Amino acid sequence: MSGRRNRKATALAVAAVVLPAILFFLSLNIGAYRIPPGAVLSTLGDAVFGGAGGPEPSPYFDILFRVRLPRLVLALFAGAALAVSGASLQALFRNPLVFEFSLGISYGAAFGAALSLVFLGRGFPPQAAAFVFAVAAVVAVMAVAGRSASQTVSILLSGVIVSALFQALLSLVEFFANPYALQSLIFWLMGGLGLATWGDLAVTLPLIAVGVTVLILLRWRLNVLSLGDDEARALGVNVGREKVLVIVLATLTTAAATAVTGVISWVGLIVPHLVRMAVGPDNRKVIPLSAAFGASLLLVADDIARSAASFEIPIGILTSVVGIPFFIVLLRRSGRLWL
Amino acid sequence: MKVRVDHLAFSYGAFTLEIAGLSFAEARVTSIVGPNGAGKSTFLKCLASVLPPAPGSVFIDGQDLARLGGKSRARLIGYVPQEPAFTFNYAVLDFVLTGRAAFLPPFSSPAAHDVEAAREALRVVGLAGFEERPYFELSSGERRLVLVARTLAQRSDILLLDEPTTFLDPRHEVEVMELVRRLAGEMNKTVIVTLHALDMAIKYSDALVFMKQGRVVAAGRPDDVLDEGLLRSVYDIEMGILNVAGRRLIVR
Repeated sequence: MSGRRNRKATALAVAAVVLPAILFFLSLNIGAYRIPPGAVLSTLGDAVFGGAGGPEPSPYFDILFRVRLPRLVLALFAGAALAVSGASLQALFRNPLVFEFSLGISYGAAFGAALSLVFLGRGFPPQAAAFVFAVAAVVAVMAVAGRSASQTVSILLSGVIVSALFQALLSLVEFFANPYALQSLIFWLMGGLGLATWGDLAVTLPLIAVGVTVLILLRWRLNVLSLGDDEARALGVNVGREKVLVIVLATLTTAAATAVTGVISWVGLIVPHLVRMAVGPDNRKVIPLSAAFGASLLLVADDIARSAASFEIPIGILTSVVGIPFFIVLLRRSGRLWL
Repeated sequence: MKVRVDHLAFSYGAFTLEIAGLSFAEARVTSIVGPNGAGKSTFLKCLASVLPPAPGSVFIDGQDLARLGGKSRARLIGYVPQEPAFTFNYAVLDFVLTGRAAFLPPFSSPAAHDVEAAREALRVVGLAGFEERPYFELSSGERRLVLVARTLAQRSDILLLDEPTTFLDPRHEVEVMELVRRLAGEMNKTVIVTLHALDMAIKYSDALVFMKQGRVVAAGRPDDVLDEGLLRSVYDIEMGILNVAGRRLIVR
């Protein structure tokens, strides 16, 4: 029994490394302008080894380095951020339906980023305000839920209330924005990776890297925290301190991603559940595998967004179309099969 | 390890727990009995620091419990709550492993020797072979044993068990109580249990503590404290004590 479990875990661990790498390479070929795999390799090779091939730079250089690489790197990081943050929050709140979107974090971050973009301009990194308002959203959700915060439904209701508040505030920002800023704001809000520049990534990627790494280090501790406050306290855990740490990290990664991508919801719900269906609830596996498969899912979603139609479909719309039916199924079978 | 309680007080709403003075001896099983609402579970939660006691009210081998950090406390005291509700269906071994939290810094995962401690704990409670079984698929009796195994992985010398036999059939009830005796007798644990079944308490305990309305009414060896007058005053009904083949049985 344990042998079979180990083999399955090993296979998944290998897939977790190989799958995002393969998808990343394939995604470099896909887009409005197809680049054959050979040309991708030679262009990347020229760039790394100094372009010894000839005096003429590859015609694909600009597409690859200015357009495709930043958005694909962002897809990897944002996918990992959203999935790890969702998995951690589910363990911490002992609630399989909680994730950054249902806790109001997504719209808190979106409001903060919009506020920053409209009033402070693009020169100021929107990640700071996104983080501040995302934290405000979680605190508000926990305060509204109050003592019944451990109950599945009451925390979801509080999340709905707080999300609605931040959506209203977001509309207010749109109301005050000038027409030019408004257009880019709305486009960004639908969720998309296409607007990413290396400048945005310079702030977002390190924040996500730190948040995801520390949450992965805390993976076993999340098993202990997921037993409940009293249990964890009796086991010697400083519950208050470690809860705050996990919430701050989960909020930080989500806010850093959302500030650049807009609202991409449901990844934090779908990925951890699929991982639990495959390997069980042990967070030592769930957290790192969520990072890998979250990254893969967002790469695939972005490939579809870029290539399914003659125009680009906002990726946030795609993830919602897939995520909402998934959520309904989960809600119906709260008769915990794979939790 | 010896546990000494000195003027422990705790209140919520209209209920007040007030324990003037009480001691629990090493390598002994002490059962706390009394009617519903007597404060048995609240008392146990105070000892477990789930409801933190005030400084100077509980001492473990002379150390003030309120001044101990979480980790040092967890290494001394293991707590088995009444039917806790869990969300995630961990495998039994992963569940028992959480007992190692007090030995591991937050950013690390259990090592081979932690896994060995958890396996050993499962052997002691008679659940070797259950390592990969999902917790929710176990019977109530087996779940209690898993919870006890976790406190063994925790290596704490003091065990607090809140109604470990409630909802168990007679066989599992006996199994759990036999285990409790062994933990005190063979592993020198200080075991404190709350129980409703008086017969079990009398048979398996070295000492009884009778509680009513948040206070200790009587405490001592079963032979010394037990009489019909005490039972009447604690439970407000008539109960008789029969001596049958050297055992004392309670009849209602």
